[in-house]
Amino acid sequence: MKFDPDFALSVIPLILSGLGATLWAAVVASICAAALGFVLEMLRRSNRVLGYVLRFVIDVIRSTPVLVQLYFIYFVLPVTGLTLPAMTSGIIGLSIYYSGYLAEVFKGGIDSVDTGQFEAGKALGLNRFDLMWYVIAPQMLRNVAAPMGNYFISALKATPYLAVISVPEMLGLALEVGSNSFRYAEPVVVVGVIFLILAVAIGQLVRVLEARLLAPFKK
Amino acid sequence: MDFTGILAGILQGFRVTALVTFYGMLWAVPFALCFGVLQYLARGPARAAVTTVIEFWRSSPVLILLFMLYYTLPSFGISLSGMTVGAMALGLNIGGYGSQAVRAALQALDRGQVEAGLALGLRRFDVLIAIELPQALVAMLPTFVNQFIQLVKGTAVVSLITLTDMTFRAKEIAELTYNPVGIYTALLVSYLMVCYPATLLGRWLESRVGIAHRGSREI
Repeated sequence: MKFDPDFALSVIPLILSGLGATLWAAVVASICAAALGFVLEMLRRSNRVLGYVLRFVIDVIRSTPVLVQLYFIYFVLPVTGLTLPAMTSGIIGLSIYYSGYLAEVFKGGIDSVDTGQFEAGKALGLNRFDLMWYVIAPQMLRNVAAPMGNYFISALKATPYLAVISVPEMLGLALEVGSNSFRYAEPVVVVGVIFLILAVAIGQLVRVLEARLLAPFKK
Repeated sequence: MDFTGILAGILQGFRVTALVTFYGMLWAVPFALCFGVLQYLARGPARAAVTTVIEFWRSSPVLILLFMLYYTLPSFGISLSGMTVGAMALGLNIGGYGSQAVRAALQALDRGQVEAGLALGLRRFDVLIAIELPQALVAMLPTFVNQFIQLVKGTAVVSLITLTDMTFRAKEIAELTYNPVGIYTALLVSYLMVCYPATLLGRWLESRVGIAHRGSREI
């Protein structure tokens, strides 16, 4: 079968109708992953035993494919009596996967803050939470913004995986077009082009935001 | 089927997982080295062209790259085996990330290294081979290990183009027996056995080399 440009153009509107689902999954998963990653890293630092346990948990998250983690959540949770919509399972999966990486980012960010800052905070009598939240976190932001932005883009690029657990995001819709028309080449290329445009646009957006947000911190 | 039986069944797919990883490396390493060096050395329109190629492979979601190659190439009269397509999509995607690590490591070197080499009368090419690359490659070892892990984990997607890797075996077993908890736990354990040692090696190398390549370790 030859590549049919007219057919490719005709499926664009249908595939774009999944753009909302793609972006929603990416944004919610990014926010949850950042929050969960921060909590994981804070708990990991809070006590020695918990530290070893969470170190291993983070490594397990980082050492297994996101596709397998998605299957795990999608097929195993119902066994425990918890049946979630596909989109929710997908968002949970992506959030957990990226929380492992973001915990590492926060680890690096916190380690990069001068030890004098920790000592000064303690000397002023701040408790652990206040020290972290008011003294360390704002200074850490400068160092974690760039890698965090990269992982958010990466989460966007991982959303097509949700198609395999039947979330109707863009790739899911494209594969549906494929199975109805027996023509996969055109819809898949359309998704590819849309993603390329998205990834480049959002990459630029993240870089602009980063520059804006960090301007006050630059020496 | 008990847990060990499931695990043994899944590990029958290890050979395909390992082969895709190996062929993927054959695409990724040369691509990363060539394009990383080219992007570092090229100026003007040549650099823009190199950057475009890298960004195409790096910015597209790997699952979509895989489907594009798998479904679209035949309609242009090119038919490749699933193994080749899988290795190519994964390899060039990871190679795109790798090229950024190569370029970043080259740029991080002191300018004096090149200047000293040129002042000694070495040609630019010899400076690159004898002075810059050896130092840059050591600095990017941790990144290399991390990207190798991403490649191994990425191979799970070839199960979607019917290659019989570990993930495919798990799905097969899931059709025969109802035991999602056992099957997907075993699948996680299988990948963990392969990737966890590499994760530990990566962290150890990172502490030894001690250079953070921000922006090149995403995925």
